[in-house]
Amino acid sequence: MIMKKNLKLVAMFAVILLLQNCTSDDREIRVDSPPPSGDYANGIFVLNEGGYTYSNASVSFIDNSGQVYNNIFYAVNGRLLGDVAQSMAFHGDKAYIMVNNSNTIEVVNRYTFESITTIEQDILNPRFMTFVGDKGYITNWGDPADSTDDYVAVLNTETQVVINTISVSEGPEEIVNNNGTLYVAHKGGWDYGNTISVLNAATETITSSIQVSDVPGNMLIHNSDLYVLCAGKGDYTGDETLAGLHKINLATNQVTDQIIFADGTHPRHFQITNNSLLYTLNRAVFKVNLSDFTLPTTPFFSTNVQNVGQLNGFKISNGNIYIADAKDYVSNGAVLIYDLQGQFQQNYHVKLIPNGFYNNN
Amino acid sequence: MIRYLLIVLFFCCGALYAQVSPVTELSEVNLKYIKLKDSVYTTTQTVLNDSVLKRNQSSLTSLLNYNTTMYLKENGLGMVSSPSFRGTTAQQTAVLWNGININSQTTGQTDFNTINTRGFDQVIVKSGGGGVIDGSNAIGGSIYLENILEYNLGFENDLFLKYGSYNTYGIDYKTSYSTKQASFSLGVSRQGSENDYEYLGTDRINKNGQFNNTNISSSFGFKLNTRNTISFYANIYDGKRNFSLPTPNALETKYDDFNTRSMLEWVSKSKNLTSNTKVAYITENYKYYPNIVRDFYTYGDVGSLFVKYNLDYEMGRILLSGGLNYNQNNGEGSDIEHEIRHLGSAVLGLKHKVNKRFLYEISLRQELNSTYESPFLYAAGIQAEITSFYSLKLNTSKNFRIPTYNDLYWEGLGNTYLKPELSYQGEMSHVLHIPNASLTINAYYNKVQDLLLWTPDVNGVWRPKNAENVKIYGFEGLLTAKKSIAAHNFNVSATYAYTVSTNEKTNKQLIYVPYHKLTTTVGYAYKKLSAYYQYINNGEVYTTTDNATDHILNSYMVANFGLEYNLGRKNANTYILGAQILNVWNESYESVLNRPMPGRNFNVYLNFNI
Repeated sequence: MIMKKNLKLVAMFAVILLLQNCTSDDREIRVDSPPPSGDYANGIFVLNEGGYTYSNASVSFIDNSGQVYNNIFYAVNGRLLGDVAQSMAFHGDKAYIMVNNSNTIEVVNRYTFESITTIEQDILNPRFMTFVGDKGYITNWGDPADSTDDYVAVLNTETQVVINTISVSEGPEEIVNNNGTLYVAHKGGWDYGNTISVLNAATETITSSIQVSDVPGNMLIHNSDLYVLCAGKGDYTGDETLAGLHKINLATNQVTDQIIFADGTHPRHFQITNNSLLYTLNRAVFKVNLSDFTLPTTPFFSTNVQNVGQLNGFKISNGNIYIADAKDYVSNGAVLIYDLQGQFQQNYHVKLIPNGFYNNN
Repeated sequence: MIRYLLIVLFFCCGALYAQVSPVTELSEVNLKYIKLKDSVYTTTQTVLNDSVLKRNQSSLTSLLNYNTTMYLKENGLGMVSSPSFRGTTAQQTAVLWNGININSQTTGQTDFNTINTRGFDQVIVKSGGGGVIDGSNAIGGSIYLENILEYNLGFENDLFLKYGSYNTYGIDYKTSYSTKQASFSLGVSRQGSENDYEYLGTDRINKNGQFNNTNISSSFGFKLNTRNTISFYANIYDGKRNFSLPTPNALETKYDDFNTRSMLEWVSKSKNLTSNTKVAYITENYKYYPNIVRDFYTYGDVGSLFVKYNLDYEMGRILLSGGLNYNQNNGEGSDIEHEIRHLGSAVLGLKHKVNKRFLYEISLRQELNSTYESPFLYAAGIQAEITSFYSLKLNTSKNFRIPTYNDLYWEGLGNTYLKPELSYQGEMSHVLHIPNASLTINAYYNKVQDLLLWTPDVNGVWRPKNAENVKIYGFEGLLTAKKSIAAHNFNVSATYAYTVSTNEKTNKQLIYVPYHKLTTTVGYAYKKLSAYYQYINNGEVYTTTDNATDHILNSYMVANFGLEYNLGRKNANTYILGAQILNVWNESYESVLNRPMPGRNFNVYLNFNI
């Protein structure tokens, strides 16, 4: 009897030891094999920012035939991109990816996506980047809770080393170059901005500041004008303000025309094509004729039918309108393609929180 | 499938062996004086005390992770931690300190790494809805942190010293003195760690993860006469944590917690009546420094007053209870408008032991307040002893969770029109008792309505709203068994939970809710030597609401091994020397995405009890 009991005891411990090793390995980051040519050329990159602190930002590539390649940074380099991919910029054969919460810039070959280096020094909360000659200019928020430490980092694109930092007012967001004059939109970080800084790239000094509406985020240069979209302060700020679209003459740096939006409307993105300016408001796209520059009353088209959750990215490229749908921010997102008449064409699955498109044709 | 067959097999096989194990199930209580919180008759409770508290690490996270079915979401060892109990959200587990709900009024949840278990004599885990008794948040279950006042034991001292990897230390001292009439105890506990462990499989270490905390708990009891007892309980927790970095170059941040709790309790008994009056005041304060090199911080600060009165009337086999609760919260913060809110409730209960083998209970609660819709709650259940070794329990309840200060009063985003979450649940337990072993199998269903969530609006702005409905069902097995062969003593305790928790609209499993979790502790003692081995086997969890496989956290198995030797004389003052290997198999794992936990590490401890 004792023997039998001991046997049971042994059996029980054996079962215990067996049980403990029941683990699975179901996480699967699918690695799509690279395009037959070996290069991520002739297509468009989609930046998926990933979840805040989750370090799962990624890059997708949609080639001109409509084939989607997800997680390409991971596929090529065997490591994850980082925490919150904010934007991407091209310079020569290099692509620079601002990884906001990692405080890094990943430098890769824009065709093979092979990592060249990771810039870590003098980068803190990088947002956007542009280039003048062989220098790169990166807007940085610094410590987001400190409204006085924001700057533009100047990068030597040969050595990939930050050679100078230019102190600017709070919340520098997009940065664009007009023949050596840089325009920096102060969207604001902790507080809310309402200016565009004008920066001389040669002297690396701020030469003037242009007053616009609150929360200027997006800028585009078209012909000899700079267009700035200001979202205005939301109701949650306790001081809601009107959104504005400003047209600034690049020769005089004066606002020459503007559209002020209706109370309670806060447009997010805009693009310019064929003498038209298209902007997004909630889940709809509106069209402004650049000749008369007046506020449209009805949407050009809506993405409601396609059930877009968050219209989180907007780009016109190759005669298509690309829309990034971030869903609920806690799901893999989608890219929707519409033609220039606003007709829905195509839907692609991408990764967590797509926020931007970068044409690599 | 084979895996689950094995688990069933394990339970059957284990049940043959038996006796008191470290995890004890609350024994059947006589129907005499029952504190109103006891609804143990028709639901399941697990009591963790004595050596279980000492052998586990000092955080409530670690204790519950290794000994209960709960899933603990820990942002790296020692960092912010929250539970998912029976497939519910972090806010749907109530934590009660000596009967007072201490879930944060700002976030609605308790950070389980800010509870130092060394400050308590026992921790009770109650599964399932307990809204009528425990109030808001008791949807998945409740955790009771208890200090027990004992009388007539003289002077006692307990010192526990621990030191381990990553400069982790623990110093706990408890002194108590009691006579027939009076009882006093004071406990001081200090825990800290450099916490700079390696991330397995990488060349990174856990940067900026250092923490320390001090917990002081004291209680005082005085028997005025045979009928009246006055007790006073106090607890101070002061915790300082740096938050480990999600990426190597991230800004270093830190978080300070300072919480105080005090309570005066008066119990008065007469022939058939027992009245219990509690007046408690608790404060919670946090400071978050978004950059440790600067003095700038954001904060939240809430003081809460509780007045609870309960009267039990015993009438033969029937116990009638009535209670009134009043709660005032007075809070503010960097982003929270200063608000005072008043909440009240009235409770009525009936327990009836029809005969030796059958008991039923019904309790009702009406919430009374002006801030949000006041729900009416109920709980009802039966317990039937079918045979000498098998009893059946059935229970149904309606529970709630109130909106938090953040939900209601966050500047610009708060929404004062929010409704409380409501949960309707039903549960069936089978309890098998044989000498030296017990096995409990529970099956439950829980429907949660109007889940309070912060979701992005059409503009991408996150706002609180009553967003979703969730359907949860699952089953649990809880086993304890003990066996002695000559001088060799063995004991086993194990828990297993299968949990399906789905969003009613999408039919997808909730994020951070594993389908499977298994915990096992095996103990062995021979004369003055004892050894124990514990492990958890945690199923994979989704981290995205579309349940995408590329963002899954893989399942993992983590095991700890400990060895103890009693240097003292038998049955006298004890001097225990112990050593532990944590994560024996050096498993690389995370319970929250991108928050690696430590690999194999070691510690030694010394316990003097005089």
